Parts: sequence; structure tokens; C-alpha cells
Amino acid sequence: MIPSIAPVPATAPANAENADKETDTDAAGVGAGAGAATAAAPAATGTGRGPRAAFGGLFAPRMSSRRLFASPGAAAGIIWLAALVAASLTAPWWLPYKTEDQDFTAILSGPTAAHWLGTDELGRDLLSRIFAAAAGTLGTSLITVIVGVGLGTILAMVAAAGERTEGVISRVTEVMMSLPGTVIILAVIGAVGTNIPVIMAILGVLISAGIYRVMLGQATSLQSQLYVDAAKVDGVSTLAISLRHVLPGLSNTIVVQSALIFAVGMLIQAGLAFIGFGPPIPQPSWGGMIQGASQHVYDAPWLMVPTGAVLALTVLAANAIGNALGKAPNAAASHLPSAADRRRRTAASASAAASASAAAPETPAAPGRLSVRGLSVGVDGGTPLVTDVSFDVEQGTVLGLVGESGCGKTMTALSLLGLLPSGVSVTGGQILWDGRNLAGATETAMAGVRGRGIALISQEPMRALDPMFTVGYQLVSAIRRLRKTGKAQARAEALSLLEKVGIVDAGRILTTYPHQISGGMAQRVAIALALAGRPRLLVADEPTTALDVTVQAEILSLLRTLVKDTGMSVVMVTHDLGVVADICDTVAVMYAGQVVESGRTANILDNPRHPYTLALLAADPHANTAADMPERLATISGQVPQPKDWPAGCRFMARCQFAGSACVAPVPLVPSGSDDGVVRCVKADELAVEGLEWVATEVPARRVPDVRSADSTVSTSSAVEKDRA
Amino acid sequence: MAIYVAKRLLMALATVLVVAVLAFLLVHAMPGSPGAVSLGAGASQEAIDEVNNRLGWSDPLPVQFFGWLGSAAQGDFGVSLIDGRSVSADLANRLPVTAALAAGATLLSAVLGIALGVTAAVRGGLVDRIVGAVCGLAVALPAFWIGIIFVYLFAVQSSVFPATGYVPFEVSPQDWALSLALPVITLAVGGAAFIARQTRASMLEALQQEHIRTLRATATPTWKILYVHALRYASLPIVAGIALQFIGLFGGSVIAEQLFAMPGLGQAVQTSVSTHDAPSVQGVVVVATVVVVAVNLVLELATKFLDPKLRAS
Repeated sequence: MIPSIAPVPATAPANAENADKETDTDAAGVGAGAGAATAAAPAATGTGRGPRAAFGGLFAPRMSSRRLFASPGAAAGIIWLAALVAASLTAPWWLPYKTEDQDFTAILSGPTAAHWLGTDELGRDLLSRIFAAAAGTLGTSLITVIVGVGLGTILAMVAAAGERTEGVISRVTEVMMSLPGTVIILAVIGAVGTNIPVIMAILGVLISAGIYRVMLGQATSLQSQLYVDAAKVDGVSTLAISLRHVLPGLSNTIVVQSALIFAVGMLIQAGLAFIGFGPPIPQPSWGGMIQGASQHVYDAPWLMVPTGAVLALTVLAANAIGNALGKAPNAAASHLPSAADRRRRTAASASAAASASAAAPETPAAPGRLSVRGLSVGVDGGTPLVTDVSFDVEQGTVLGLVGESGCGKTMTALSLLGLLPSGVSVTGGQILWDGRNLAGATETAMAGVRGRGIALISQEPMRALDPMFTVGYQLVSAIRRLRKTGKAQARAEALSLLEKVGIVDAGRILTTYPHQISGGMAQRVAIALALAGRPRLLVADEPTTALDVTVQAEILSLLRTLVKDTGMSVVMVTHDLGVVADICDTVAVMYAGQVVESGRTANILDNPRHPYTLALLAADPHANTAADMPERLATISGQVPQPKDWPAGCRFMARCQFAGSACVAPVPLVPSGSDDGVVRCVKADELAVEGLEWVATEVPARRVPDVRSADSTVSTSSAVEKDRA
Repeated sequence: MAIYVAKRLLMALATVLVVAVLAFLLVHAMPGSPGAVSLGAGASQEAIDEVNNRLGWSDPLPVQFFGWLGSAAQGDFGVSLIDGRSVSADLANRLPVTAALAAGATLLSAVLGIALGVTAAVRGGLVDRIVGAVCGLAVALPAFWIGIIFVYLFAVQSSVFPATGYVPFEVSPQDWALSLALPVITLAVGGAAFIARQTRASMLEALQQEHIRTLRATATPTWKILYVHALRYASLPIVAGIALQFIGLFGGSVIAEQLFAMPGLGQAVQTSVSTHDAPSVQGVVVVATVVVVAVNLVLELATKFLDPKLRAS
């Protein structure tokens, strides 16, 4: 069989091109197989935009060579290929026999001392013939790779740079891809004869169409990166951009595709030789040798083995290299734990439940109250993401979980539903709901809670809905499942739910697909879906972040109304203090995996006690009226520390304007003095008494923004101390 | 939708035309004029020239091409230089053989491949690795090698299947099926591996989509998430992969037909190229392209129909 050479076409329903991925590449080539899947520590941090993205090329992951040698298959492959190349290049010196030497005393013999791999029907030594043929095969397959991958990459880069050329090139390659390749090649052979290098070059041209398709998506996404825009603004020419910025990003894919196409080239070559279109006699070829062997499969079946084995091993080696380098489909990023994962979770939760029940809850569980006590969440295998988080949500109230990207608020929220991503799990603490500890619950137990007790709405409503089914199908099936009603009744419920969330044309919306409705409408549908099971607690993960400001206000108002009407509670994850002020009754401010301050919203916003809260409020451009708008807006210099950099003491210390020597010790939560509020700061009382405020700092004139290190902030804060002294 | 179909049809036609031109040029680049080929070695120059003039060999190329195109459009691909028989009649006999082979192999590959791929994606762990290793081996072994082994095992050691030869459906349906069995299975080994990988990758990608989390949040049972929602999402690239598989198989059946002595299009290509039989080469290239393009078109439309975004617009 001439293996189908075309790679995976990009026809999956619009996966919103994740242009935030930096130089991550995919091996969407001739089958991205089970390579060494890199364990992905799920990004608790935000997207890749921001300063880092502007310096994209500098941060290209140098993982490729590590991945290559980490995979045993790939390592073996490299060794095999290297050995083969070396053996074939040095063949004239060590081959025991010439390829045409006939030993009539040993025809069709199996392996013997004289002939290690046996002989063929004319007494010729197989070992010698195999390695004599190797050089030619490897070399001409290389031609296919160079032509195919080279042409495909060039076309992709040219197409990515200009939209009109892209249209033309895409049409042409589409035609090329729908050609019966083998038939064309044979016709070409008719015209040029069995000139193997030329044939393989033309094969490369045909393959380039497929390579183009693979590269195009990537090249386009690289072209749309921020650093390319920056280069364009700088006046860098299109060609230079392609060569200096796009090409390096494609390098991993180029290597992967080269390996895979090399394998394909060898198989095709062998196939052609098999049917008689190999190199002219007397040059041996693997395909030709297998053809000869096939004639004697009845009387000398061993003949099939050596050549087939060498060919297969070489192809395997190339494939192994390609698969190891390519980004194998990451099973770790699945939203559905695999069967193996689920078994592991059941075992882990059994032990967690045992240990958790030992710690008695401090407050007796009130009906409808969610109590989170000392919750810790971390990546399996070490890195903590959330440490010792505690809060309560009374029935009918809205708690805001506020903080920057990467502070762990989303992980906290997801753990309430047991929907943490693969590889992340609850490492300690309790989630008390309805008289049970959800932190150690099994998947089955959680399935009973989800939808009926606790529901979820997420950030991107368009992605949260299944694009392949109508809104009506999704809503009705959820209602039927959660409320155990019949189809007609469920449909009536669906209509009333849609009306309750403010959708006017409910009947029509039921028949639409998610891509046909706007973002705001989709979020309303998502809310309706969340309400399908009449939950008593709604976890809202930044529900308005992706929406327009006006729609934001509507959705928030809708949530407020729902809380009032149904009495359900809400845990609202947000980074927007405006949202907190709008609808949250209580708020917990999170920083670097910890709660640093919590309490009633009015108290926190009017009278913040923690420096971080002070800083957030001072840095809010909307917080000041025109009258007392300061000359310079306050900022928080530095960056949120990565989990591995978390100090034992206060995690905000490095960026804090009031940091002192007392801050290096671990800081407990202490009452803040107003209602049930708590604050995690040793200087909280001092700051309150002295009425200190977070101030805007001078940026030193000669200081170059360094986005990597956080230690420069220490000097800044000491400069501030000197300033104020 | 109608505009889309029209555009695809136009592209299909353009493809066939491009191939026709290409085949025409290639044929004219082949060594030996028609006269020399049909009359053989010892013929005199006058006889050769006479044949060439009769066939219009020295006419300007565009004239020859459009003349050929005109007849081809009416189904006349000329006569073979070797045995003088009508090319179109010969191809008409051979087409069902290759079609049955390619369709059968694609079907078997699809069924096996999807089953394997879904299992690997769903179970994960050891099952996934085993399937991955088996598929890796299956695509590394050349199909003709696998075929020979199958012949050895099933036709020689146990004569369940015929080693070679093709029995037309009209003659005996059972024998027809048996004669197709080994070639189809041979081709399906590599095809299933390819589709299994594609399926696994698409299923895993489907499971990474955010709506899966929403489904879990509404307590959707796992089987429904996997086999209704994830599979549906993955169906688009899988069907596209199957379409590619068919194109590859149709063109690639050359080797299988050689190995199992099946009188199909592949065999026709091979013999006509070896003998420099110009009209046959042209005819078979164009016919193969027409079939492949037509099937591709149908499968593409099916794919787009599966995608709600394009169906509803």
C-alpha cells in the first residue's frame, strides 16, 4: 500500500485558534501517535499574552532535544538510523561479498556462518545486498524530504505573510492533494524512466501540498503573534520576519514532518521497486529484493524476513523520532479523567475521606452553607497551587473570590465541583457542603452533587456549550437528567428557564446552535443550563470577563435577581473589583494561593487592611472620581511569584511597600476587627492606626523593564522608604 | 450551501482538467511514438510514420489535446497501442475491481480504526500504549510485505482464501467476496492503523474542549460524554481522515493488485506505463482522477454536512 501521506487536515470545528500558545508545535502529521506525552503542569496562570508574548522568540522552549532523548523509542531510532547510515556509507570497505557475487553452493539458504542473513535465489549474500541498497534508499528518501518539507514550508510561510497569495496557494495545493498520487508517479515514471532521484523529487512536490496544510495553520498563528507586529512596526521586511520570527517557530514541526515523510518516502520507494519500478538492474533495492523473495515464499519463506525487517525497522525508527518530537495529543489536558485516572482518584479519595473525617469541623454545618476549611490544591507530584484557603458562604449570599491571574481562585472554585483538571487534585482540607466533605468524595458522589446541588458557569460561554448540538438539545437533556422529567415537560421547563434568564425569543433559541448566538446570549443560555437542576450554589468562574461592558452589567444584574428570587448562593470568581462592589456580599482576596483578606464587601472596600488590597484599590483607575484623581496611578511593581518561588513567610513581601523583617515568618490569618473579617498581615493594625496608603512610585529613568526577575523590586521599595523618610 | 456545492464542483472539474493536461504532457514525454510502440521493433520507418500521421501525432499539441478531450468527454479514450482494444471498455471492466478493493479496504479500516482509536483514547494507560505500539508497527511494515505473509498463512498453509485472482460478482458472490478478502485485509492493516491514530488524536482533542467540563458539571454520564459528545466532535476530522484514506488506497491499490493478480485500474497503470501505451496511460490516469475526485467531493460534502456551522449557514 502506498500509505496515505496527507496529514491531518484542519477541519475540526473551529477550535478558536489559540494564538496565545507561544512556540508550541503540533505533530499533526502522518498520525501523531503515542509518543512520550509530556506531562503538562496545567497553567494556573493566565494566557500567554502580555510582556512575555512581545519577546516571543527569545522564550522558545528548548525542550525538543530533551524530549528526543527522553523517549526510548526515539533514542533507539536515532541509534539505528545512525548505524544504518554509517554502515551503508562504509559499505565498500566491510561488505563480505559484492552484490552480484553468486555462491552456487548456497542458494536460498538461511543464516549461516558464511552468509549471516542467508542468500537469495541466485546465491547472492543478503546482508551485502541489503546494505548496498541502503545508501541509495536513504539518500533518495532524503531528496523527497528536502523537496517536500522544504517546498511545503516555503509555501506556508509565503501564504501566511499575505492573504491573497494564501488563497491562490491553498487552491493549488487543494488540487494537488486530491490527486491519486501513485498513479501520477507511475505516469511520470513512464515519461522519465526509473530515474529514482527525479521520481523521489516529484514525489516530494506532491507531498509538499500536505506539508503546506500542516504548516499553514502554525505559520499563520506565528505571524499573528505580538512580536511579529512589533517587528513590522520596527520596519522589518516581510522576508526577514518570515525567516527570523516565523521559521524558528516552525522548526520543531519541520523536524517532525521530515522524520515522518522520510519514512513515507522509503515505503513508497520500496513499493515502486516491488512492482518493478526500482533502480535499474543490477542495482539492488529493498523492494526488488522483497519481490524476489515473494516468488519463493513457499519453498524459502525466510527470504522475506531480513529485507522486510530492515525496512520496517528503518521506518519505525523514523516514525519514532517524529512522534517523540511532535507534541503528542496531550491526554493530561483532558477534561474527562481517563479510566486509569478515575481508578486512582477512587483510591486516593478513600484515604482522604478517612483522614478528613478525623478532623471535626469547627462550626456545625448550617443548611445551605458552604464551608471551606484549609483547602489546599496542588499538582500531583509536588507544586502547590492553593494553600490553606478557608471561607464560608451562607445560603443566599454572594462571595467574591478576587485576585490576579494565577492566584489560585479558579482552582479553588473548580475544586468545589471536583472538576479540577487532570494532574491537579485536592491535597488537603475540607469542603463541607450538605453535611459531607466534598474534598475527598468519589467521582460518583460528586456526580450526585453536580448540577443538583452545585452548578458551574465559566468564562467563555461560547466554548462552554457543545458546538455540535442545538441549545435546545443541551438544555432539555440536562433538565431531563437532573429533574427526571419527560421530554415534553422538560421542553416546557427549558422555555421557562430561558425566559427566566432574560431571553425573549426562547422558542427560536432552542433550535439554534451555539455559534449562531451572541456571547451575552450564550452566557444566559449557560446560566439557564446551570439552573437546570435547581442548584443551591452556583460557582461562577469569571462569567463576565469575556463579555462587553454593557452585557456584563446585564448578566450581573441577572445573577443578582436570581439570587434574590431563588435564594441560591454564588461563589463569584473575578479579577474585577467593580464586579465585587456590584454584587458580592462578602469577598475573599487571594494572592499567590492564599487568602490574604476576607470579610464583608463594604468593609473590605471602604477599609482595606491588607497591603495587597490597599494596592489593588489604589491601582484601580475607576476608583477615583475626577475631583481627586491623583497625578500618577499607583502600581504594584514586580510579578506574582511562581509556586516554586513562594517564600515560607508572607508571599506578598517582595512587592509590598510596607514589608519589614517581621514578614519573613509564616503569617497567620487574624481577625481584622470588623465583623467576621480576617487579614493575613502582621502590619495590618499598624497600617490601620497610622492610616498609611499605597502610593504611586517613581520609575527610575534608566531602569529597563525586566519581566523575568522579581528581585529588582526590593530595591524599588527601599527607594520608596528613602523617599518617604 | 448551494454555492458551496457549486464551488466544490468547479474545483473538482478544474482538478480533472489539470490532471488531463498533465497526463497528456507526460504521455508526450514518454519515449517512443505511438507508431513505434504499436508496430514493435522491426517495423520500417514509413510504417511507423503512417501510423503516427493517422493518429495525428505530429499535429500541434493543443489540437491533439482538445481532440482527445472532446472524445474523452464522450467516453472514448481511444484504443490501446498494444492490443488495439478500446481503452474505455477495458477501464470499465477494471473499475469495479479497484473500486471494490478500495471501498472494502476503506470500510474495514474505518470500522477497525475507529474502534481501536476510541478504545485507546477512552481507556488510556496500558491499553493506549499497546494500541499505539501495534499501530506503529502496522504503518511501518510495507503493505506488500504484509500481503505476502497473509498469502503464505491463509492461502498456502490453509486454503481458506484464494492466493490470487479475482472472481467477478456476477459469476459467484461468495467467490467474489473470498477473492477480495485477502487484498482488502492486507490494505486494511495499514489503513486501520492510520485511522486509529487519527481517531485517538481527535477524541483526545475533543475531550480537551471546554464544553466537556460543562457536561460534567451537569452530571452527564461518562458514556454519554464519550460516545455521544466527544465522538460527535471528533467525527469531522475522522471522516476527513477516512476520505484521505480512500484517496490513498485508490491510487495505491497498484501494489495490491500486482501482488494478488487483480485485474483492476492499478494493474492497468502498471502495464501501460511499462509498455509505453500512451492512450491507456492517459485514459487510466484521468479515470482514476475522476473517481478519486468524485468520491472526495462526496465525502467532503458529508463532512460539511456533519458540521453544524456549515450546515445551517
